[in-house]
Amino acid sequence: MALVEFADFSFKYLGADSLALRKVSASVNEGEYVVITGPSGCGKTTLCRTANGLVPHFHRGYIAGNVFIDGQNTRDATVAKLASTVGLVFQNPANQLVTLNVEKELAFGPENLGVVPEEVRQRVEEIIDLLNLEHLREKHPHEMSGGEQQRVAMGATLALKPKVLVADEPTSNLDPRSAELILDIIANLNKRNGMTVILVEHRLDLVAKDASRIILMDKGQIIADGIPRDVLSMDISSEIGVGIPKATQVYKRLQAKGIELSRVPLTGEELALLVGEAKRR
Amino acid sequence: MIMIEDVHFAYDGIYTALQGVSLQIEKGECVAIMGTNGAGKTTLVKHMNGLLRPQHGRVIVDGADAKNLSIAELSRIVGLVWQNPDHQLFLDSVRKEIEFGLKNLGFTPEETDAQCTQTLKNLGLEGLAERSPFALSGGERKRVALATVLATEPQVLALDEPTIGQDAQQKELLARMLMDLNDRGRTVIVVTHDIEFVIEHFPRTIAMAEGRIVADGSTSSVLSNEDVLERCSLTLPQLTVAARALHKAFPQVSERLTLLSELEDAVSGILGGTQ
Amino acid sequence: MMSFLEVFQYTRQDSAVHNLDPRSKMMLAFTLAVISLLFLNIIPLMIILMAMLPLLAAAKSLRRWARSMKGMSYLLLFIIIFNTLLSTVSNPFSHSIALAIRLLALMTSFSIFFLTVHPDQLAQALIQMRVRFEFAFAMSMAMRYVPTLGQEAYAIMDAQKARGVELDKGNVLKRIRNIVPIIVPLIIVSIRRALSVAESMESRGFGASENRTYMELLRFRRRDWAVLFVSILLLVGSIYTRLFVTLPIWMLFQLPF
Repeated sequence: MALVEFADFSFKYLGADSLALRKVSASVNEGEYVVITGPSGCGKTTLCRTANGLVPHFHRGYIAGNVFIDGQNTRDATVAKLASTVGLVFQNPANQLVTLNVEKELAFGPENLGVVPEEVRQRVEEIIDLLNLEHLREKHPHEMSGGEQQRVAMGATLALKPKVLVADEPTSNLDPRSAELILDIIANLNKRNGMTVILVEHRLDLVAKDASRIILMDKGQIIADGIPRDVLSMDISSEIGVGIPKATQVYKRLQAKGIELSRVPLTGEELALLVGEAKRR
Repeated sequence: MIMIEDVHFAYDGIYTALQGVSLQIEKGECVAIMGTNGAGKTTLVKHMNGLLRPQHGRVIVDGADAKNLSIAELSRIVGLVWQNPDHQLFLDSVRKEIEFGLKNLGFTPEETDAQCTQTLKNLGLEGLAERSPFALSGGERKRVALATVLATEPQVLALDEPTIGQDAQQKELLARMLMDLNDRGRTVIVVTHDIEFVIEHFPRTIAMAEGRIVADGSTSSVLSNEDVLERCSLTLPQLTVAARALHKAFPQVSERLTLLSELEDAVSGILGGTQ
Repeated sequence: MMSFLEVFQYTRQDSAVHNLDPRSKMMLAFTLAVISLLFLNIIPLMIILMAMLPLLAAAKSLRRWARSMKGMSYLLLFIIIFNTLLSTVSNPFSHSIALAIRLLALMTSFSIFFLTVHPDQLAQALIQMRVRFEFAFAMSMAMRYVPTLGQEAYAIMDAQKARGVELDKGNVLKRIRNIVPIIVPLIIVSIRRALSVAESMESRGFGASENRTYMELLRFRRRDWAVLFVSILLLVGSIYTRLFVTLPIWMLFQLPF
């Protein structure tokens, strides 16, 4: 069975008029890097919350269908039980830092789950190493920039040693450089550490090249699911208004004019490469 | 329209937020202010409507020294739209929310009524007029907050991070609306990190770092200056990356393309012969 | 004006006092405070106050303390004047001076604790003193988010001022009405934030396990036992002195009016 499995899952928040998710079916296997995108209100955030059991245990509502995380049905498993399988990083970094210094923050999750102190210490040191947090060790949340805060928040989640990292627009409040850094870290976690990643992101130009798959959502439904080059060059993607990388947009315009490149470019460099190739042909 | 002369400002007299900022924005301009958090962008904008007063230097708004005008008076000239709409919404209907500012800033009841109806229509909020702002989605609340400012018809509209949390379509809508206002002679200022938004719609960019202006000029020149980008924590726009990569292989392509259509033409120019 | 509160604010330092266990410092501060309350004569109070200065010096915070006390001076002056005028005791001025010194001594004794104990350490100390984790954590969360709340309040005030709300004009009724546009958004924003913070904590297993562990436990070391021992000795000694020993005349010195 896949690591994350949505089986015909629908959800309506308590008091809402319409479904937040309707009949979502998708599965994510170990080692994948899945980017989820779509217009505001399309259900991306709800999908993230579903992956670690916040839906339906924290956000209540009506559900149909099932979600299985590493074989556990989220209807039965609590958020805390899922915490060591699925780690969730949120949009606003400040709201994820609940202690007064970085070390404590990283230790917070493992401590909650009752991990023995020596191992908590070891994990904290590992994360500090992995995410380059040494200079922030003693810092108060107020003494850090948004990008640093988000790096710490991500570390605090990774300290739970999850099998899947789910990140819900982790860069939307950050400046472009910090955003790139965070996305690089995520891509590296996937590439080097084999971490399974589910990332909600608008800036497709920055993530499409690393992602193994893109899932496109609209109005609570999955409307496209496939490798980035395929999904981003579909007409539906530009119609519902997601941020298609410029290089891909150029490709599509050229295609309309009858100029074909050998594949769909995702970045500017790739576009230049393909143009060079086409010229030599 | 707005003239800022050697303005210095320090919060609590300790943390220096602005150290000698001078700039001039003409009537009808469209200007983006970019830079890292803490570069002083928001502090600068707050000087334009009197929320902050310069500790040194002068701020001239519409020909008058800002120090002689109250916040309310300045706010009728320079309307500020905040990043977080929740910081201002507090009434139980969208209509009341829009009327609140109008009444406070001295519009007559008739004007208030007319302005309110007109603004609701312009922003496509008619259907939500009687709804409570708290029951609306984030994007809708942002639009309501914008409406409360637009209703007062300020000469200058300054928006703080208007694109955060907006999807591509909403951004496009916002851009169209701002450009429309600009066409009708309003000055538009945005404070933002969104490079793509700026390069597509704003001809002039002011880049700030550590309380100083590090570059002020045409957007394409400011945003292709690597040194400025580095200091302001910005990255190269996508099209510039593509243009540079193309330029390396095909020197006839300019490095400074900023529009999608320019890039498209350049590529079809290169490949035209082979087809 | 509020600068005297600085003396209750933790400052990161590496000093002998900072490195003591918060529990032993708690006892020390308690002892010093009780002693200040036991006596109401200028000389003994001065001795107590003076005895605390080396502690502050050891905590590398003497200058900070002095600055705060300067901020306090108006308040002290006010207390002395009013108390002298309104007091019914025989030597009102002398009495007022003693009261002022007692206030200083009390503040100083608490400041030795709060200046040198990180809120996290305080929470940890409480937990190890059998206070429930949730309560102790709530306290440290308050420390974490109160400044954020303050910033938010300022942002809201700015937003409303730009909409023509005049916070410091008009009569009392108008002023009270003007608070509404500040308070309502502040509550809404706080609720939203609380929800989002709770989501994040929940996702990291907050409250999940009965056997929560702690990466670092506070450990009582020899010097902590020493401080504890000396504190208790001082406490008992002072209470005994106050109850059973007649102080020498010079200790009871009073100003003539």
